[in-house]
Amino acid sequence: MTGAPAPASEALPGGGLTVDSIRNCLEGIVPATIATVAEDGTPNVSLLSQIDYVDCAHIALSYQFFNKTRRNILAHPYATVQVVDPDTVAQYRLSLRYLHTETSGPLFESMKARLAGIASHVGMQGVFRLLGADLYRVLEIEPVPGLRLPPPVRKRNLLAATRRACEALSGCTDLEGLFDQALADLQALFGVGHAMVLMLDECGRRLYTVATLGYAKSGVGSEVALGDGVIGTAARERTPIRITHMTCDYRYGRAARDSARRASRAGAGESTEIPFPGLPEPGSQLAVPILAERRLLGVLFVESPEDLRFCYDDEDALATVAAQLGTRMLAFQQPPAPAEEADAADPVSGPQGGAPAVVRHYGCDDSVFIDHDYLIKGVAGAIFWKLVRDHVRLGRTDFSNRELRLDPELRLPEAAENLEARLILLQRRLAERCDFLRIEKTGRGRFRFSVTRPLALEETPKG
Amino acid sequence: MAETLQAHRLTDALAAYIEGGISIVVSSGDAGRGPTVGRAVGCRVSADRRSVTVFLSAGANAALLEAVAATGRFAAAFSEPTTHRSIQLKGSDAAVTPAGEGLQTLLDHHAAGFVRELTRIGYTEAFTRTLLAADPDEVAAVTFTPTGIFDQTPGPRAGDPLDP
Repeated sequence: MTGAPAPASEALPGGGLTVDSIRNCLEGIVPATIATVAEDGTPNVSLLSQIDYVDCAHIALSYQFFNKTRRNILAHPYATVQVVDPDTVAQYRLSLRYLHTETSGPLFESMKARLAGIASHVGMQGVFRLLGADLYRVLEIEPVPGLRLPPPVRKRNLLAATRRACEALSGCTDLEGLFDQALADLQALFGVGHAMVLMLDECGRRLYTVATLGYAKSGVGSEVALGDGVIGTAARERTPIRITHMTCDYRYGRAARDSARRASRAGAGESTEIPFPGLPEPGSQLAVPILAERRLLGVLFVESPEDLRFCYDDEDALATVAAQLGTRMLAFQQPPAPAEEADAADPVSGPQGGAPAVVRHYGCDDSVFIDHDYLIKGVAGAIFWKLVRDHVRLGRTDFSNRELRLDPELRLPEAAENLEARLILLQRRLAERCDFLRIEKTGRGRFRFSVTRPLALEETPKG
Repeated sequence: MAETLQAHRLTDALAAYIEGGISIVVSSGDAGRGPTVGRAVGCRVSADRRSVTVFLSAGANAALLEAVAATGRFAAAFSEPTTHRSIQLKGSDAAVTPAGEGLQTLLDHHAAGFVRELTRIGYTEAFTRTLLAADPDEVAAVTFTPTGIFDQTPGPRAGDPLDP
């Protein structure tokens, strides 16, 4: 049964079961059992809290303590593991050969996140701690004879839902429509109640929320640092991160709150933090990186108050939707040819009345406040400041993406791929925070900045 | 830590714990044939508390029973799901023996205890009874003298030898 040399191909010998066939057993619901032998041949048997699917011929086991199993595996690299399907109670035995241990990187981080959820679920926070992800080749999978329960009827077919979602995304004609379509499909086709799309900022250090589904406050504009929580880890490692039970280890907000406190101006008491909209007590979370042409564009995130809401198949489905989303995002982010963008139209002033609203701009971080209420900062803040200045000084209302891209004061990166996303962010923040300022798309690469109240501008320069 | 070969006499408390209807997983094998693994459906401690018999489905554990007959080496891990308290017993004189009298009562006792345990942490009774389902006519017994007793409760002390 064991001791066989590792097969060269990915397929398991005998054309039998693969890890794909038994993936439901690896959800961490029922503990598995692992047997090993010591150098002197003494067997050892132990329960196993976590097994991770790697591919159809590999799994990873969590290395948490330097225990007997660990010592045995290093001396004699063969193990036999028995797993249980949590729905049908079907059991399988896996013959394994240990390959190596990973202590950082995508596999390690995704196991660490899942283990945190499992540990908190079984009351072992602080005890279960991932030291390494032990990678094993699966030599053989054998069903264990025994009684079974009928498999549950699934509420939805994830493959069909994925196909529909990808078809719908391929029909979108602009970036904003793409975000809205993605979230609408998550709700309608996947039954997801809470979701977000976040984009990577120009420096590649933070993600900002551009579209959300299902939260009392949209949270558009809120930020997550790379490496923070499920979303930041998925972005940093460029791998899906999935938690099946609530855990405090991956909660958001502390780092964000701390940095906001530092950034808030003493005396003025003005905070530039937009609260992260996440569920207060999520049971399950899944963050999938949005990648295109091997570059990270952002993160697609879903969550639920229920435990065990997202399984391996959900992860695959959402990764596929995110891949399609990434391809389409990239297409919309390419600046259109100059001919497609008309030059700014003649200045037109909109109807204005009432007391002027005070728009204050801080040069240090391009944060903007309207009547002391925080609106936006960073690139979107700089764009907004240009729009209000041009409007107040020159009476302009029509703008083109191209002129923003070329404006030396905005200092947009060469490619300015995120410009469209920043404009969507700004447009949505204005729609939520301010009823007298509006951005409306007037054509490809063009928009109108509509102002229905007088504005008084106040600038606090850098330093 | 050395795995002592001294035979242990289990305390009353330890005997009651492992007979109480908790998770029992077992292994046999040696360096040549590698490890086998299985799940037991019941346990009995001898009157002198020096030998332990675990019961398991023969049909589901053919390779393991073969390894017991060939090597005599045996490991059994007992774990209480609600507390994670776990111990492992090891022996090198394991033999496949007749199940003996009162098997059905013993299987029922084990199942009742395990159902009680697993129900408290959210499993359905149907799940637990299916997991432990075994035809008494094809249940095999493995009897061994524990010569090593180890703490296996998750944590830094896991693997330490225990006083029986």
